[in-house]
Amino acid sequence: MDMSQYLRMFLDESEEYLQTLNQSLLELEHNPSDEQLINNIFRAAHSLKGMAATMGFDRMANLTHEMENVLDRIRAKKMVLTTGIVDILFKCLDRLDKLVKEISHSGAETSEVDDIIELLQNVDSIKDGAASPTVKSTSVEVDLMDTNSDEQSTIISHLKTDYYCYVLDVELVKDCLLKAVRGFMVIKNLKEAGVVVKSIPSLKEIEDEKFDYEFKILYLTKESEKEIESIVTDITDVKGIQIVRITEDNLTGETGPYIENGIQEVAAAVEVASEESEESNAQLTQQDLKITPTVRVDIDKLDSLMNLVAELLINKTRLEEISNRMNVSNELFGDILQQLDRVTMNLQHTVMQVRMVPIERIFNRFPRMVRDLSKELNKKVNLIIDGAETELDRSIIDSLGDPLVHLLRNAIDHGIEDPETRKKAGKSEFAELRLSAAQKGNEILIQVTDDGRGLDAKKITKKALERGVITRDDLTKMSDHEKIMLIFRPGFSTSEVISDISGRGVGLDVVRKTVESLDGHIYIDTELGKGTTFNISLPLTLAITQALLVKVCDETYAIPLSVIEGAEDITAEQVQMVQGQEVFVLRGHLIPLVWSHKLLGLSIPDLNDNTEQLSVVVIGTGKKQVGLIVSELINQQDIVIKSLGEFLIDVPHISGATILGDGEVALILDVRNIA
Amino acid sequence: MAKRVLIVDDAAFMRMMIKNILTEAGYEIIAEAENGKQAVEKYNELKPDLITMDITMPEMDGISAVREILGSDSGAKIIMCSAMGQQAMVIEAIQAGAKDFIVKPFKNERVLEAVNKVIG
Repeated sequence: MDMSQYLRMFLDESEEYLQTLNQSLLELEHNPSDEQLINNIFRAAHSLKGMAATMGFDRMANLTHEMENVLDRIRAKKMVLTTGIVDILFKCLDRLDKLVKEISHSGAETSEVDDIIELLQNVDSIKDGAASPTVKSTSVEVDLMDTNSDEQSTIISHLKTDYYCYVLDVELVKDCLLKAVRGFMVIKNLKEAGVVVKSIPSLKEIEDEKFDYEFKILYLTKESEKEIESIVTDITDVKGIQIVRITEDNLTGETGPYIENGIQEVAAAVEVASEESEESNAQLTQQDLKITPTVRVDIDKLDSLMNLVAELLINKTRLEEISNRMNVSNELFGDILQQLDRVTMNLQHTVMQVRMVPIERIFNRFPRMVRDLSKELNKKVNLIIDGAETELDRSIIDSLGDPLVHLLRNAIDHGIEDPETRKKAGKSEFAELRLSAAQKGNEILIQVTDDGRGLDAKKITKKALERGVITRDDLTKMSDHEKIMLIFRPGFSTSEVISDISGRGVGLDVVRKTVESLDGHIYIDTELGKGTTFNISLPLTLAITQALLVKVCDETYAIPLSVIEGAEDITAEQVQMVQGQEVFVLRGHLIPLVWSHKLLGLSIPDLNDNTEQLSVVVIGTGKKQVGLIVSELINQQDIVIKSLGEFLIDVPHISGATILGDGEVALILDVRNIA
Repeated sequence: MAKRVLIVDDAAFMRMMIKNILTEAGYEIIAEAENGKQAVEKYNELKPDLITMDITMPEMDGISAVREILGSDSGAKIIMCSAMGQQAMVIEAIQAGAKDFIVKPFKNERVLEAVNKVIG
């Protein structure tokens, strides 16, 4: 069977199950007696096992199988959950996660699982040493005709009332799965048409799968041999049946005492089984999970849908442009345009919404990480997560994971002090690490806040000077905030020792780069001794945005509205020189000026023709403002952001391109680095 | 007319597998359910010719669902979908009136054999 078509779905769902497992296990550690949690975990592991086995990923299947065994014991209260076991289970989840990743990359499992399986099995024997190992079937070959007196009288009384007596020899196919159930089905179906006097092995042994592929039954029925054959062979996996009819004369023989025991055993087993099932039913029905129907769609399909909507939007804008230019005052035409406008807008919103996923997706993995890390570093940390339901474009969310991991690691490694230091400083031993997300207008604000030691501007500048990130001259011009922002510079690391945890060559500069590549920005609030907050603000979606169109040297450029704080017309006299930098004063603030044609390397400074009036776009990035002088402000409109393609990925100050209403291409200015 | 089947499993992946196998064989999948509770509702609403029923599911497990469905309609035809190691539960389901069972990992011919036997 071609399994490749299921692979994507398998991977997605596996990831979900692993996340559930991680989360529930973490909760279970705190509430070890929560039965619902154990059931959740057990179910997730079980589903995972089934899926992996179906896909033929044997290592995953084996590992989940062993895990399930351990969980089953915990569930049945045969074993107490200890931190040691939780650690092993976490290790198991990590390995499963690794396997899923390997499958996703190469389509095959490469990591070994034997070590973890051994751990899981050892958990079993240490914690449950008293439990007897499963005894292999020791079924003694006994004679079916070795009946006791009760059985004989049953047979004899039945034979008097039109019943026949048969010895049935049923054989199952060799690749039969769950043969105990098959055996049970055979007996059940036979019981519906007659009386099963006894079987070899016993009924109980058949149910416990203590037989090879054959079993014998002493059977009483009014049906013919043919009828019996069809009753039995109708069941899947039955290879064949041999039927021998016997008469009253054959019956007399010695009685065997073991049969009575056997019957009692069966009765006891049935009782236990029904009790167990009632218990598990009660547990399951307690749960009240909300499930909404969903459809899984490949993200590529959504991307192409978004692209199509974008094309539609462009053409709508062109249509509007034409109608304006041709001065069409046809009422009908106007109506249609309006209608089109509304529909495309709705369409755009809906598509955007479809692409949105709750940020939970990445937040979910953090509790686990924080737990492990704080344990490793001997720090006491309470992680608080807020706004996990906040929704963001899927493509943004996917690339946000690593930066957040880095910030959290940083906070635990550098920001949060060890318990003693905290006590001395009069703080609670338990540090509070807060991760929150919230929507603010068209942006999403994500914050990582710790109540640790805070960032020390003096220490940072000292480091920056040592590492040659800045010069002393630079320093004199810098505000405290700017000094703190130095930690985002490449080549900067505040930790003395490069630890395994947050200092592995990628610094905060990578975090900033990632955030900015997502069209967002990052800034810091910190107070010495009180704590630090990293703020990341991001656009809701990347594909369509509002922009201001400007002209520079006859070229049209687009500037995303999200970074624009205002537009000012100033006269040449308002431009002043401060420390060799052109500035102007806006509402009491000095704002440095940048000539856009110089920035873009355009050689024809047409701005000189009209130096009386200068158009300035005030751009704000975080807490800094810059005035960008452009030739002309055109208008504000929705633009569809298109990438420049792989070859032009590092063009300075350009982040992409868009198609305007008249079909012209405009470049999108990446103004963040100007400031 | 194609026989109508209701697929019950909490894993979408499993539902898709069974669905593809059965659809290719000419059966019509009229609905899917993610848990026993939904299964009971869908059964009462749609009266399918056959149900494939997973055992471990949230909210209501497969065995309870089998009991509930057969309680209101003794003619319902149900095939259990089980994994290795669940024989006790499968036996319980068969005792409750399920017609047959298939074992994960599924093999096309096994699934079809069971389905054909029950409603073929």
